[in-house]
Amino acid sequence: MRSIIVRTFGRALTPFILIYGIYLMLFGPVSPGGGFQGGVVLASGVILVLVTHGRKKVKKLTDHVESFDTIGTFIILIFGIVGILIGGSFFVNLTPYRMSSLVFLDIIVGIKVFAGVVVLAVFFFEQGVESC
Amino acid sequence: MKESIFKRVFTGIIVVFICMMLLYGMDLGHEDKSDSPLTEFYVENYEETGAINLVEAILFDYRGYDTFGELLVLYIAITGVIILGKEIIKPKEQDGGGEES
Repeated sequence: MRSIIVRTFGRALTPFILIYGIYLMLFGPVSPGGGFQGGVVLASGVILVLVTHGRKKVKKLTDHVESFDTIGTFIILIFGIVGILIGGSFFVNLTPYRMSSLVFLDIIVGIKVFAGVVVLAVFFFEQGVESC
Repeated sequence: MKESIFKRVFTGIIVVFICMMLLYGMDLGHEDKSDSPLTEFYVENYEETGAINLVEAILFDYRGYDTFGELLVLYIAITGVIILGKEIIKPKEQDGGGEES
């Protein structure tokens, strides 16, 4: 059982970490940050819950997050191939609006990286918990 | 004892070698390459990609294959860890559940 100090700080800090991760993802094209960094920050928020509150609190999320990794990779691959077919190059901007495809790609990349890092962390924590 | 001394000397040599490599990489005796023609092309023409930020234009348009390769490397690494790890975990669960060991 974790102490009340650890649990309280985990509960208080997690929303800010998640909001900062989403901010990094959404504002990637106009400010420092981007999909990779936003996804890793989001995953660190989930890992904080995992460490301070145990495995059961995030079980609902981590059971379904494995498939996001594969789906994200395929969406990005299909996006790149569509760019080759339509615009003539990989990752071309598909719509006439500026940075519309960049925001889309940033969000997809962020979700993909988030899923991957969460899966890795849950996997390693499960192995550690067994030995405790 | 001899082995440990040899190991220490070997470690020292490797550390010195890595330090020399890092110092060599840190621009000692190199000329500045920041004003190549490609850089000028990026700075002048990055708006054709539809991006506002120059970094994002390079990351997702000029070097799109690099970005996709990074994602693929991460995906393959995670898939490999999960596949190998489940092979490690599964026998334990089966031993606890079904077999008489």
